[in-house]
This record gives sequence, C-alpha cells and structure tokens, in this order.
Amino acid sequence: MANRTIPRLLQTPAVLLLLVWMLVPLGMTLFYSFIRYVLNSTVRPEWTTPSWSNWRGFGNYEFVLNSKDFLFAIKNSLFIVGSILSLTVVLGVLIAVLINRSFPGRGIVRVLLISPFFVMPAVNAVLWINMLLDPVLGLQGIAVGAINDMAAGMQDAPLVGWFFNLWPVLEPISFRATQTSAIAVIMMVTWQWTPFAVLIFMTSLQSEDQQQKEAAVLDGASRWSQFRFLTLPHLGRPMAIVVMIQAIFHLSLYAEIEIVSRGNGNKNLPYLIGEFTNNNIGAASATGIFAVILANIVAIFLLRAVGKTLME
Amino acid sequence: MGSIVLDKVQKKFGDVEVIPPLDLEINDGEFVVFVGPSGCGKSTLLRMIAGLEDLTAGKVNIDDNDVTEVSPAKRGLSMVFQSYALYPHMTVRKNIAFPMRMAKVPQDVQDAKIEAAAKSLNLADYLDRKPGQLSGGQRQRVAIGRAIVREPSAFLFDEPLSNLDAALRVGMRLEIMELHTKLKTTMIYVTHDQVEAMTMADKIVVLQAGVIEQVGSPLELYHTPRNKFVAGFIGSPKMNLIEGEEASKHDATTIGIRPEHVSVSTTEGMWKGTVGVAEHLGSDTFIHVHNTGLDTGEGDLFTVRISGDIAVSHGDTVYLTPQMDQLHKFDAQGLRIA
Ligand SMILES: Nc1ncnc2c1ncn2[C@@H]1O[C@H](COP(=O)(O)OP(=O)(O)OP(=O)(O)O)[C@@H](O)[C@H]1O
Ligand SMILES: [Mg+2]
Repeated sequence: MANRTIPRLLQTPAVLLLLVWMLVPLGMTLFYSFIRYVLNSTVRPEWTTPSWSNWRGFGNYEFVLNSKDFLFAIKNSLFIVGSILSLTVVLGVLIAVLINRSFPGRGIVRVLLISPFFVMPAVNAVLWINMLLDPVLGLQGIAVGAINDMAAGMQDAPLVGWFFNLWPVLEPISFRATQTSAIAVIMMVTWQWTPFAVLIFMTSLQSEDQQQKEAAVLDGASRWSQFRFLTLPHLGRPMAIVVMIQAIFHLSLYAEIEIVSRGNGNKNLPYLIGEFTNNNIGAASATGIFAVILANIVAIFLLRAVGKTLME
Repeated sequence: MGSIVLDKVQKKFGDVEVIPPLDLEINDGEFVVFVGPSGCGKSTLLRMIAGLEDLTAGKVNIDDNDVTEVSPAKRGLSMVFQSYALYPHMTVRKNIAFPMRMAKVPQDVQDAKIEAAAKSLNLADYLDRKPGQLSGGQRQRVAIGRAIVREPSAFLFDEPLSNLDAALRVGMRLEIMELHTKLKTTMIYVTHDQVEAMTMADKIVVLQAGVIEQVGSPLELYHTPRNKFVAGFIGSPKMNLIEGEEASKHDATTIGIRPEHVSVSTTEGMWKGTVGVAEHLGSDTFIHVHNTGLDTGEGDLFTVRISGDIAVSHGDTVYLTPQMDQLHKFDAQGLRIA
C-alpha cells in the first residue's frame, strides 16, 4: 500500500484543480438558486447583490417548476437529443460502411464528408436557416417554387396534363415557426455531427478482422448477415462512444436554437437558463441545477448501456 | 465425397505471378499437407481452392464438378484459419451454430449437432462462453467445431496450430489426426512445420515460389527427394549437401547425406573435422562439425545426428563416416540421379 502514496501525491494537484474547477461554480449556482438575486430592481434594490439575507429556500425551484416553459423545455431537450442521436448513428453507420470500400476519389470524398464538423455551430445555423431552409430565399423556397412552376407549366400539356392537374400547389415550410423550429435544429446539428460519427465508425471498420469476414463467407453468410452479425456488433463500442459524447454536447445546445427562432416554440434547459439570466439569476441557477439533474439521469442511463457493451 | 482436382490454376497479384500454372490431384479422404518456405504461396493456393481468391486462369474441380465460378459457401468446404477467425460477439454455441443458422437448419438438428461436436471436442463446459474467455487451444477447437457441423466434403486448414505453444501443438495435432481417422473426410493442411507435415500427411505437396517441387508420401520424400530443394527441406536437421571434388567422386554435382546416416568416431573415419556446437537432446545429439574440407556452403559446416550421447566437446577432432547406401546424388540441375 505504501508504494501507492507517491502516485497519489503526484495526482493531487490535478485532482484538486479539477475539484475547484467543478465545485466552485456548482457551489455558487447552488447558493444563488436558494436566494433572491436579480440584476435589476428599482423596487427591491437589496436583491441585486447576492447575500444570505435574501434567502428564499426552494422558492426559486417552485417558481421554475411552475413556469410554463419548464416541462416543455425538458421534453424538447430530450426530443432534440434523442432525434439527433438516432439520426447520426444510423446515417453514420450507413455512410461509413459505404465509403469503407475502395472507389476512385475515396480520399477526397472522405475529406469532404468530414468537413461539416469543422464549421462553427453558429455559422452552421445561419447558413442552414438562411440559405437552405428559408421559405423564400433559401434553397427550399427556390426548389418548391420550381416544382410548382413546372407543375403549372405541364397542366396544359396533352396526355399528361390531367396528371399534373391533380398536383396540389406546394407550400414551402417556414422553419422559424413554432411547430418546425426544433426540426430545423435537428437537421442542422445532424448534418454537422454525422461526420463525427462517420469518422469514428470508419476507423472502427478498418480494424475489423478480415478473416472473420472470410470465415462468414465460407459459412454461407450473405452480405446482409455479415453486416448484421459481424459489423454491427463490432460497431457496438464506437456507437456507445458516439452516443455518449454527443449526448453531452447536445444537452447544452444553444446557438442553433437562438439563431433559428430565438426560442420560439423550441427551448431546452440551457435556453431557459439564458432567458432567466436576463434578470432573474436565482431562477436561472435553479434551472441550472435541474439541468445538472437531467444530465445525470441521462448519463446514468447511457453509462448503463455503454457499460454493458464495454464489459464484453 | 471430396476429391479435388486443380487444373492449370494460376494466380497473379497485379503483374506478380505468385502461382504459375499448377496441376494437382487430391483424392477423396486423403490428408494432404502443403508445405514450403514462408511466402511460397501455400495460403494463396488454399484460398483459391476455398474460393476466397479468384483464379487468374485454370479450373478447380470438386468431385468432378467445375467449381471455379461457384461461390465459396456453395463449394461445401470448411476452413480453419490460423487466427481462428471466431466471431467475438457470439458465444461458443452461437459460433458453432452460425453456418447452420445461415443454412436455415432446424433448431433441433442444430442443437443435436452442437451437442455432438462439443462432446467430441471437449467443449461442453464452454458452450456459453465468448471466444475471448477461452485459451488458444480451446479457440482452435471451437473453430474446428464450426467447421465440422457443416459436414463439408473437405476441410482446409491454414497453419491452424502455429499460434499454440509447443505442447498444445502436439496435442492438437493428434486430435486433428484422430478427427481425420474418424470422419475420413479429405483434409488439406497448410504448414511450414515439417514435423507436422511428416507426421500427419498421407501425401505431402512441397511448394517453392508457387511451384510444386514434389508430391509424395512422407517416406517417399524422405528417402527419394526428387531434387536438392526437397532434400534440404524435408528432414530435421537438414540434409548435408556436398558439392565440388567430393561430389564428383560419385559422378554427381551435389551429393547429400542426412545427419542421421553418418557415424562419428574420435579415432578414424572418412572425413575429419572439429566439433563446433553439440546440441544434447538426451535421446539424440546433434553435432555441428567445422572445417571438414567438404564443400557444403557456409563454412564447410556439417551436421551429424547420433542417437544417445557421445563424449565430445568444443574443439575436439572427430572423424565422420557416411553410410554409402544412404547417399543422395543430384545433377547440375539439382535433380536426383537415380
Ligand atoms: N493480396 C495480395 N496482394 C499481393 N501479393 C500478395 C497478396 N497475398 C499474397 N501475396 C504474395 O503472394 C505470395 C504468397 O503468399 P502466401 O500468403 O500464399 O504465402 P504462404 O506460403 O502462405 O506464406 P506463410 O508461410 O508465410 O503464410 C507472397 O509473396 C505474398 O507477398
Ligand atoms: Mg500463409
């Protein structure tokens, strides 16, 4: 046992630093969440400085729980994270398997595929919402317009005209609207993060044992069976990693939500915190604690699942 | 049934001809060993038979059917790989069941066959483990089990024992031989270990650079090697090959004498030399004799094998006498002179 003292001593500074880094903000957040603390108040100027005398108990928590956006933000957080995770994993596996074979120009295709990952989130959001998804000026508007024009032009054509007469006039979708803004965020984040999944899956595919594949070929396994029984289980561990890392990142999405609709119809806990921070630091801190709890619940679930695959 | 005929099969990787056109016949029920130095194309040839490697030219016939264009799975062959190639995410049971599952064999038949295979391979206690939790020998047995349940017309082994330690290798060697006696199925076995080749084979195929140097029973190869290469390759320690003056006395370019066909004396004999290293194995002693004045290549080194022990040590002078009836003679092309 004695020979473990020195390594422990050597680790201490790093561990202490990490603890301070974690505990100080967490402690401050906890403290603020139990007091009345606002940035601006002409009526109660004493609330603008944090102090024990402004103790509010669980008042802030009650206030947050009763605010109309709270439950919605939690559900929406889970919806967004869940959708992005499933989309990136499915797309990531498909693309990785596709580009794992050799074809001319594979190097360039790979580089191009990875590049979305290097775009800044805010830039990504601006590009998508303005250039691709905009119902008038974006690619979407132009495409829908072109289809409508074509259908209209064909309505007088002989023989096939009746067919195009049956076409409804298509309406472009506004992705800044209440009902669709979450979808827009899911699309753009999926676009940005699929390369990350592809990258990880591709590395893993390259380490796949070729003799196992050959054995499976001799055993009469079809391509699908090889994928199902060899490749998919082989990708289990990288999938767990992709899910874990992305869950951590996407629970704290902010820029995309702000840029797409300023939270209109689409909030998550970080966005709610942001809104409260405009004035009510106490409520924002309480929301922060809820976010920590939510993240922990998600992490426990994921760790269980990941742990299972890692144990094998 | 499992007779395999290779008809002028050829393999090129790009411009490199790894196997020049080659003919070979393997009879039903035979245990054939492909042996040769590393990189001579043994694995490639085996993979061509299995269908894992396309032929550049030629035909593969199994039981008189041309299977050159038939997919690997439909050739009815099972292969056991050097790396075992077990499916790591499946239990032993699922591994063995996999080929039957792919062939949609009914579950009760599967269970019965797994049971039988596990019993004969001593795997019954490990059926629910994953390959990662098994020893090398157990893994190899699982791989063999997976090959058996398909009831193939021939088994292909690619250096199946080379990842095992020496003791286990001997054990597994016996098990594979017993399996062959029991199943009487054709087996093609690739190895570069000539002890494996000599002990297991009905028929040995000696390959060098993709060319068959000789095909024959182990003893044929030992007693009448067709050329210098086979003479040097088969037998351990290697045959002493002598060129120059001593060879011309026998009207040959090269004469060969196996280490076990030379007697050693400290007083008199035909050739004289000094003892270098003596390897004492207990049952045998290998003596490496230097400065024999015989043209054997590297430093006129000559190896002798005597049974039992002899009291010689480094630097001693010894006399060597070959058994003349065991002398092999080769001509300028390296071919055997009858
Ligand atoms: N896919 C390939 N592409 C190009 N050359 C190859 C390929 N596979 C094998 N070769 C070459 O073919 C030759 C024969 O290889 P092979 O694997 O059959 O040798 P081997 O006799 O099995 O050797 P070892 O005893 O080391 O396993 C080697 O020179 C090797 O470099
Ligand atoms: Mg090989």
